[in-house]
Amino acid sequence: MGQDDKTRKDGEAGIGRRQFFRALGGGTAAAAAAVASVPLGTTEAQAYDPGNAETRSRYRETDHVKAFYRTNGYETLKK
Amino acid sequence: MARMKFLCDADRCIECNACVTACKNEHEVPWGINRRRVITLNDGKPGERSVSMACMHCTDAPCAAVCPVNCFYTTADAVVLHSKDLCIGCGYCFYACPFGAPQYPRVGNFGSRGKMDKCTYCSGGPEADLSVAEYEKYGSNRLAEGKLPLCAEMCSTKSLLAGDGEMIAQIYKERVIKRGYGSGAWGWKTAYRETIAI
Repeated sequence: MGQDDKTRKDGEAGIGRRQFFRALGGGTAAAAAAVASVPLGTTEAQAYDPGNAETRSRYRETDHVKAFYRTNGYETLKK
Repeated sequence: MARMKFLCDADRCIECNACVTACKNEHEVPWGINRRRVITLNDGKPGERSVSMACMHCTDAPCAAVCPVNCFYTTADAVVLHSKDLCIGCGYCFYACPFGAPQYPRVGNFGSRGKMDKCTYCSGGPEADLSVAEYEKYGSNRLAEGKLPLCAEMCSTKSLLAGDGEMIAQIYKERVIKRGYGSGAWGWKTAYRETIAI
């Protein structure tokens, strides 16, 4: 005999712990089935698709950039 | 097509943190966020090494792979950018990134950290180039101005290189051929004496 059964009074009103969770589980499954039956489609999430404008190349080898490359290679320049 | 890369010449970095300061100032990065940090290994010991770290703009970015809202995209310059309009601040990218690049404006749990912020390679975001909206969200867009990231441009020892990957790799190779590497480098034995070899 378990501890719960020892402490429970005979003829106690209401449902027991095991019955309560069993009933709750059944109710949750019914709710999930109801949600699954609702048709999807109109509000489906869309992945972000950046256009060509956002992803186009912005790097240009300007005089500014060439100066950066040149000054970083000072010690290896041919004398 | 040029691929944008960072390369930190660890033999030259003196841990001045100027790159960190310049980045914060250029983009008006909010308190609590550092898009770039200097990491020092064996701090205070002979042979210590410092490396300036930020988003490395990975080819197959793990942040983009785990993002539940697909807010990341890679530009034709191979720069990994993200949309703050889509970001939900979940923090997955922070856990996925091997460099700790994604940062958040607030400390909090799922969804309460605010929009993720990271290095943009000074190339803004999805908004129109050089617009006010782009500056407010992502900072300045130096690449569109024909410049390179400020952290690299103002590095005092020219340790941090940025630009076309092939070009900066060539600069670094030529440096190594000229000066040697580690204990073979010019000035190494003056600074660390003969006994230390790394």
